Amino acid sequence: MNLKPTIGIETHIELNTNTKMFCRCRVVDTEEPNVNLCPTCLGLPGALPVPNEKAIRYITLLALATGCSITKKGMFHRKNYFYPDLPKNYQISQFDLPVGENGNLEIVIDNEKDYVEIERVHMEEDTGKSSHEGSGRIDSATSTSLDFNRSGIPLVEIVTKPVIKSSKEAVAYIEELRQLAIELEISEGKLEKGNLRFDANISVAPSESNELGTKVEIKNMNSLRSLERAIDFEIKRQSSALENGDIIIQETRHWDESKETTTSMRSKEGSADYRYFSDPDIPNMVLTDEFINQIKENLPSLPHENRNKLTETGLGLSDSNVLSKSEKWIFELYFEVFNNTKDSKASFNWITGELQGQMRKLEIKSLPNWFSPNFLSDVIKLIDENKISFTSGKVILEELIQMDTTPDEIAKRLDLYQENDEVAISKIVNEIIDNNQDIVERIKNGEDKLVGFMVGQIIKSSGGSINPGMAKEILSKELNL
Amino acid sequence: MSKKFDITNIAKLASISLSDDEKEKLSNDLSVIIEHVQALSDLELDTNIEDVYIHPLEKVLALDDDTEKPSLTHDEAMSNAPKVSDGKFIVPPSLE
Amino acid sequence: MELLNLSIRELNKLFITKKTKPSELYSEIFNRSASSEAALHAHLSLFEETNLVKAKKSDERFSKSENVGLLDGIPLAIKDNINIKDEKTTCSSKMLSNFVSPYNATVISKLDTEQTIYTGKTNLDEFAMGSSTENSAFGLTRNPWNTDYVPGGSSGGSAASVASRSSIAALGSDTGGSIRQPASFCGLVGFKPTYGSVSRYGLVAFASSLDQIGPISKSVDDARIVYSAISGHDSLDSTSINYEQIELPFEKNATIGIVKELMEDGISEESKKEVEKVIDILKLKGYNIKEVSLPLIKLSISIYYLIAPAECSANLARFDGVRYGLRVDGKTSYEMMENTRAEGFGNEVKRRILLGTYALSAGYYDEYYGKALRARKKMVDEFSTIFKECDYLISPTTPTEAFKAGEKTNNPLEMYMSDLCTIPANLAGLPAISIPTGLSSNNLPLGVQIMSKPLTDNSLLDFSEMLEKELEFYSTPEGWSK
Ligand SMILES: [Mg+2]
Ligand SMILES: [Zn+2]
Repeated sequence: MNLKPTIGIETHIELNTNTKMFCRCRVVDTEEPNVNLCPTCLGLPGALPVPNEKAIRYITLLALATGCSITKKGMFHRKNYFYPDLPKNYQISQFDLPVGENGNLEIVIDNEKDYVEIERVHMEEDTGKSSHEGSGRIDSATSTSLDFNRSGIPLVEIVTKPVIKSSKEAVAYIEELRQLAIELEISEGKLEKGNLRFDANISVAPSESNELGTKVEIKNMNSLRSLERAIDFEIKRQSSALENGDIIIQETRHWDESKETTTSMRSKEGSADYRYFSDPDIPNMVLTDEFINQIKENLPSLPHENRNKLTETGLGLSDSNVLSKSEKWIFELYFEVFNNTKDSKASFNWITGELQGQMRKLEIKSLPNWFSPNFLSDVIKLIDENKISFTSGKVILEELIQMDTTPDEIAKRLDLYQENDEVAISKIVNEIIDNNQDIVERIKNGEDKLVGFMVGQIIKSSGGSINPGMAKEILSKELNL
Repeated sequence: MSKKFDITNIAKLASISLSDDEKEKLSNDLSVIIEHVQALSDLELDTNIEDVYIHPLEKVLALDDDTEKPSLTHDEAMSNAPKVSDGKFIVPPSLE
Repeated sequence: MELLNLSIRELNKLFITKKTKPSELYSEIFNRSASSEAALHAHLSLFEETNLVKAKKSDERFSKSENVGLLDGIPLAIKDNINIKDEKTTCSSKMLSNFVSPYNATVISKLDTEQTIYTGKTNLDEFAMGSSTENSAFGLTRNPWNTDYVPGGSSGGSAASVASRSSIAALGSDTGGSIRQPASFCGLVGFKPTYGSVSRYGLVAFASSLDQIGPISKSVDDARIVYSAISGHDSLDSTSINYEQIELPFEKNATIGIVKELMEDGISEESKKEVEKVIDILKLKGYNIKEVSLPLIKLSISIYYLIAPAECSANLARFDGVRYGLRVDGKTSYEMMENTRAEGFGNEVKRRILLGTYALSAGYYDEYYGKALRARKKMVDEFSTIFKECDYLISPTTPTEAFKAGEKTNNPLEMYMSDLCTIPANLAGLPAISIPTGLSSNNLPLGVQIMSKPLTDNSLLDFSEMLEKELEFYSTPEGWSK
């Protein structure tokens, strides 16, 4: 049986506002439980919600940046369900009038562009956090403890249409979305902190079928690794079930990271009936043209635009994609170095390879302030002009990160400039030929690999100052190879 | 309109456990009320649902700016809690 | 001079002229409330200790002429669904019998700046759901005019407190008539302001789109003074409005509408007679009177008993035993919540939560809740049309005089019907007031209701005060007048 998977993803992004969605408690990053609460986010009797303007602005920003059409007359709805970490036992969310609808997001996979259609972008408030004491099963768990610091933090939820075809595409989509949130400065985008959390709806159907298979939802993942593995696992599980003629049950499953399997979450009795209705505590929300236009005018450069700027420098799509998702200073450094060197590949490699590698090794997060982008351009140029070797370039870079100096100073101090004077090199080459007549004989008899040995001897006797390319060229000429 | 309803399911959604006697009694009470509100079924109404919000002023949604206001202290927040440990609210297990 | 029968303005004058002191008034009030408690059970708590200190401070301010204003040192009773920091807010429910509020409602913060004294918390129908104050988990309140009768509800405790002179005035909340109906049953003025003009922050929500805090008092002027103190925009309530009062004429050139649907079947002859009495006065004064019709009023009970329960089913979901209030344990969190809510809520509250849950549930939303919302909108439109021709609308406040305790407890629908005249103002967000007009043959108070368009609260109060003077009806229940 030929089967095809279809995936839809719901992503919650925590917005980095100063205060919460419906109260003005400061959002704090602390392990200390229950310290930033007020009557509203603790759901005390009599407390009321007042929406946060900045959060609405951020959500509109994301909706516009994903090409959604904006619902000018919006509403807040109550989504009713009982759960101990939900203080009011309803979550204020949006139902039939979300902030944005029908957008799409450009992603890159395997050096090719693709597009993920977005169904909707809407506001939500976060719940508190439960931790379960005792073992993992309800019959042996002893209690649940609750911290409501997270309660009421604004979230934006982005729902894709069921259009994603593989785990790889899902990962590319999340990476793109994360980068977008960072560029828009609406979220820290830190996966390890749970700033982005995603649910995947996965179904498998015969390739030729126009209908989707029964969907299974995997809830609450926050790492790309989990997302990728959970999707792959679930596609395999559902495919083999279908091949065996089994029926897929529509259900919610949980990705068990340690066992690398999905397990069924005990389904609540009856179907979920959230009894959505418009929250009478909050008047209808009218987004004025003025409000929307102001946001449009201040849209920053988006990841796909950055990617285009990079490909325009001659960089490949895949490399451009990597660079568009790196930190801002790296992205900017690339353009400064490229503008000086006009060598896109070298600029990319030196920045993403050598420079970042060195920084990782030295465990530093940002470049020292004495480090000018010109240093990197100079190093690249010196190599391009054969004035220093690639290896010397690395040595120079390592020093530049650690002390306030210049490439030229280092090259001079460490005597890294290469000899490029043909007469001087010929002299050394002939000395080496005279001293190694036996080797010369063997080369002439066809032992080509000994050329490298001779070049090594030449460089060694020059104290490393001779350009290896030139040494080899002159040696070949002298030996009539 | 349907007058019959599943009291067990409604009570579950409302998270209230009911004895059989209560179910019987409440079912009867609710049937009478639901019967009464059937009066609305004859009305022809086609207003858009986003236009039904009632408020003395046309446009009121005053969004609040993102400025911190004083909150409760930790002790105030926990002051009415039935069960507390290590600064957290404790409830019976909630794992699914 | 009977201190407890005086108006706020009169009391303030006595304080200023040093003829009496707030502490003297308070001690009379306290004695009265303490002695009336056994017969009436108007209060759930009395704050004697803190109040002695507050009254003394008030004395000092008056002695130095540093008094803050009209409400300085005036003892007001507060309905027990309004949060006062560090005091219990029980909502007359087992669910909250031990809940101590860690914060103030906005109306309390505002009254604090006026240096008002709170006599205590008053009894109510559990979570303000009821029309008789019989649905209190802590026992019913009785009508000071005749203790066989109910004081009305849900703000029955507030009305009984003021009628028995156990407080000078009181705060109530009105979702479907819960201020106006008990005021009428107890011979008092009850005022429900325009929706949004008084902040709901800190009022334990019953039905958010209908709830409004307002005063119950002996006179229109007292109601006006309390209303001025508690109204105004609040950034903690999104539905609170930044507004300017619209002025309506209240002298001869005003047009008065008599609501036809509220003068028909289901309204007692005695209640109708009170309206006719008022019409006669207004005619004599030269007002233009006309009968008007608002057909949807006939459906207002149906609309109300879908919308209010739907909202309450979500508003009361937070009472789950997790963070505060009663907890009845269970094997899992879910069992604990179900057990807690089974034990913590009384019958009427359960009835409404279940009704609302049903009205909102999948498959029934359009049929019930959605329909009710649209009908409500249509009713608002009917009012708008009528207010193009009329400035004030007059009707009975209640279909009948107060009923006997126990009379309607077994028939929820009949109980709901007693809110027929008051519910429309809540559905349409209008300001509405009940003023006492006379006594029934059973020697129980009757009143009329006056409604006007949104944001005309001050004009409505002026008009009512004119009528109050013309009616010359001011009576106190026997036994409580001295
Ligand atoms: Mg969601
Ligand atoms: Zn808060």
